[in-house]
Amino acid sequence: MTSHSILQIESLDIALRSGDAILTGVDLAIAPGKVLGVIGESGAGKSMIGAAIADTLPPGLAISRGSIRFDGLTLTDMTARTRRDLLGRDIGFIPQEPMTALNPTLTVGQQIGRHLARIGIANRATRDKRAIELFSEVGLDRPAQLLKSYPHQLSGGMLQRVLIAMAFASNPRLVIADEPTTALDVTIQAKVVELIARMRQAHDTSVLFITHDLQLAADVCDDVAVLYAGRIVETGRAEEIIDAPRHPYSRCLSLAAPNLDGPVAPLMILPKAMPGAVERAAMRGCAFAPRCPAADEACTRTPPPRRAVSPGHVSACHYPERTSAIAPPARRNAGDLAAPGEAAVLRAQGLGKAYRQHDWLGRVREVEALRGLDFTVREREFVGIVGESGSGKSTLTKLIVGLENVTSGTLHVVGLDRTSTPRERFFDQVQLVFQDPQSALNPRRRIGSLVTQSLECRGNGLAAKARRELAAELLAKVMLPPDAADRFPDQLSGGQKQRVNIARALCSNPRLLIADEIVSGLDVSVQAQILELLRGLREQASFSLLLISHDLAVVRHVCDRVLVMCKGEIVEQGPVEQVFGAPRHPYTMQLVAAARGRPRSDDRHAREASDLS
Amino acid sequence: MMRIWSWLSDPGLVIGGAIAGLVLACAVCAPWLAPYHPNDQDLLYILAPPVWAPDGAAEHLLGTDSLGRDTLSRLIFGARTAMEVAVAASFGAMALGAVLAHLAGYFGGRVDWLISRLVEIWLSFPPVVLSMLLIIGLGVGTDKVILAIVLVDWTRFCRVLRSEVQVVRGQDYVSFARLVGFAHMRVIVREIFPATLPMLITLFSLQMGISVVVEAILSFVAMGVPADVPAWGQMIADARINMFDAPWGLALPILAIFVTVLSFNLFGDGLRRVLDPRHRANGHV
Repeated sequence: MTSHSILQIESLDIALRSGDAILTGVDLAIAPGKVLGVIGESGAGKSMIGAAIADTLPPGLAISRGSIRFDGLTLTDMTARTRRDLLGRDIGFIPQEPMTALNPTLTVGQQIGRHLARIGIANRATRDKRAIELFSEVGLDRPAQLLKSYPHQLSGGMLQRVLIAMAFASNPRLVIADEPTTALDVTIQAKVVELIARMRQAHDTSVLFITHDLQLAADVCDDVAVLYAGRIVETGRAEEIIDAPRHPYSRCLSLAAPNLDGPVAPLMILPKAMPGAVERAAMRGCAFAPRCPAADEACTRTPPPRRAVSPGHVSACHYPERTSAIAPPARRNAGDLAAPGEAAVLRAQGLGKAYRQHDWLGRVREVEALRGLDFTVREREFVGIVGESGSGKSTLTKLIVGLENVTSGTLHVVGLDRTSTPRERFFDQVQLVFQDPQSALNPRRRIGSLVTQSLECRGNGLAAKARRELAAELLAKVMLPPDAADRFPDQLSGGQKQRVNIARALCSNPRLLIADEIVSGLDVSVQAQILELLRGLREQASFSLLLISHDLAVVRHVCDRVLVMCKGEIVEQGPVEQVFGAPRHPYTMQLVAAARGRPRSDDRHAREASDLS
Repeated sequence: MMRIWSWLSDPGLVIGGAIAGLVLACAVCAPWLAPYHPNDQDLLYILAPPVWAPDGAAEHLLGTDSLGRDTLSRLIFGARTAMEVAVAASFGAMALGAVLAHLAGYFGGRVDWLISRLVEIWLSFPPVVLSMLLIIGLGVGTDKVILAIVLVDWTRFCRVLRSEVQVVRGQDYVSFARLVGFAHMRVIVREIFPATLPMLITLFSLQMGISVVVEAILSFVAMGVPADVPAWGQMIADARINMFDAPWGLALPILAIFVTVLSFNLFGDGLRRVLDPRHRANGHV
């Protein structure tokens, strides 16, 4: 756009050796000191942009057309050697997973020392001094001591700070951050984002911020480019794209994410899935047309032109003006939820779990994973549990399903004492939906056999026909076609697999369903499908749900009540709106503030809410 | 359909499988294929060379040994002995090793400790000495050879499969099966065994080759099958006295062992390639 961009990517194509395009005609430009966000779901090709700049494209992929210019130099024409010199010195990187980005056998000091030596600090003492300076700049305590620690002695948040310090060490002109917060806890995420923003200002660096999170992009970026199926569908100022998108895909993404304020509106569900590289090649028109609620004949026939809808705001759509009319379908019986019953399905009193560790002298040390939990889940009630990693959420589920033993207090599940009742009494009544459908579905069983698996070992085994009928019924409950029953899990998409996972847990008509982070690995649009499915099931609710999630908005969308856990204790519990709307415990306040991001997003949701009414 | 097609594009699998199949066919159809009874003596032809060598005779296509027995017939019946031992011994070793591996990998803890230590102690015995000691203790005989191989080689199955079982054990679908009330045995049979089966088949094929070699060694030192049962190892032992006068008598059984073992190894490696999802990952949608 401007003539003096730090990074300018022009009509970049990246293709597989077979010729199938991964990225098509990508144009991007970052002005000095600005943050450009690249937003896309998995498979959109967003990480390939960073990889193309860093010259780390996976084998089999190559730049087939276009150019990448950095500060007047054409990266794509350079020899590998001169390009390597530039990387790390003038272009910094912040990786996605800080835990695996550092060598575990070297100290943090050795690694940052090497990096500083590479960027031209020859003297060892100067290097150490500079490292300490950098560490204090990114807010790390006791920087001198940190130099001597190994990566495993640091938490994920601290490691990411170290890596941010390294990325900015050479005062680079450009920093590429590829999903820098995805692997971190919510409260740490907020701090890392803040830190990147501060470092950018201090060093006057441009940042290419790659993320799948629209909300996060709104908080961090000046400009945003939305990527779909290898093409940029919309670029413009961040607020405009988030608040007034002019491409249906951006609007759908925004409507698919649950929010923390305003009314709990139904989420936008996109049909089908993003086309893969091979499917795209066969499409003549817009790649989004088959899923687009505003598409017509022309969209499938001719590719949409990319044109400015307002100064600095470009949309690749035939009908950008139709965008604002897109709204998710209204629920059939909105707000008419089944009232929770009085009977308690789950009751914990003073529940605790301690692990005993023996050291080599045989001395016993107790580690308390859970302490004094008191809570009740009533019939047909949907309860969320939120908390960060290490808060004891997963230990609690293990206690409830009986994979671990209770060490103190009492736990009544479906009216029976978990510790004294034999396991068999719980099998049909309590079901668990696992987090990762890939691992939870036996790849050698067909879907039909998977969903009815829990009947297999019952004395009164069903006849094959009855079993097939039951499978079809269960698949209908989770909105999968009946012919899915004959397929194998590998033939389904991630969202479909997760639905099979849920259908399977519903097979025995459980009274209590436990869902452990069941949407955390999914893309926004797939997550929306699962959340709407849970909402729908809640309307007919025949069971209680315990939903464990780190995402407050997800819990708010599905649950009546919420428990907030911190370090093995419940610090706050109550109705969702009350807890998130007016948190009382400092930890809950911190969580809610972190999830909200900048205050700007408040009026955005308010505006969106008024759009809908 | 696609899968069978991709199997056929693996040359090791096809060539190995074809030769292994041929050897197995020889073994099954030995009485109809062999021109003579393997122990029939034709004293007019002693140490006759094969038909293509000078002085070769059409009556004995591959010549005769020092007692005038037809080499071709003995090779074919030798294949029968070799395959009988190899199939039974590999199956036995597989069954014993696989059962213990599934128990160790699935239950972990003390069961795993016990079985793993047993395997380690077993492995610290020299295998050839162990099998010879067993034969000396049990006496010669085809069944004794099979037993000796089973008792020596089950550890190989046990070690490899145990780690495979541990990987599958960590999958959530195994936990799920427990949570819906599957009994331990049912979980092992229905959920874990299907996942370890490809590895089992691969190991079985490789063990076939190893069993053939062990049987030949034992027969060579006259500690294998009884003297009236033709075996490749025995043929080598018989021919070594006249090795300078009649080299073919030595070369042919060695070639038979070589080709058989190679084919089973090729077949086993090919199976590993096509059955292991980690190798199949690319191009499989």
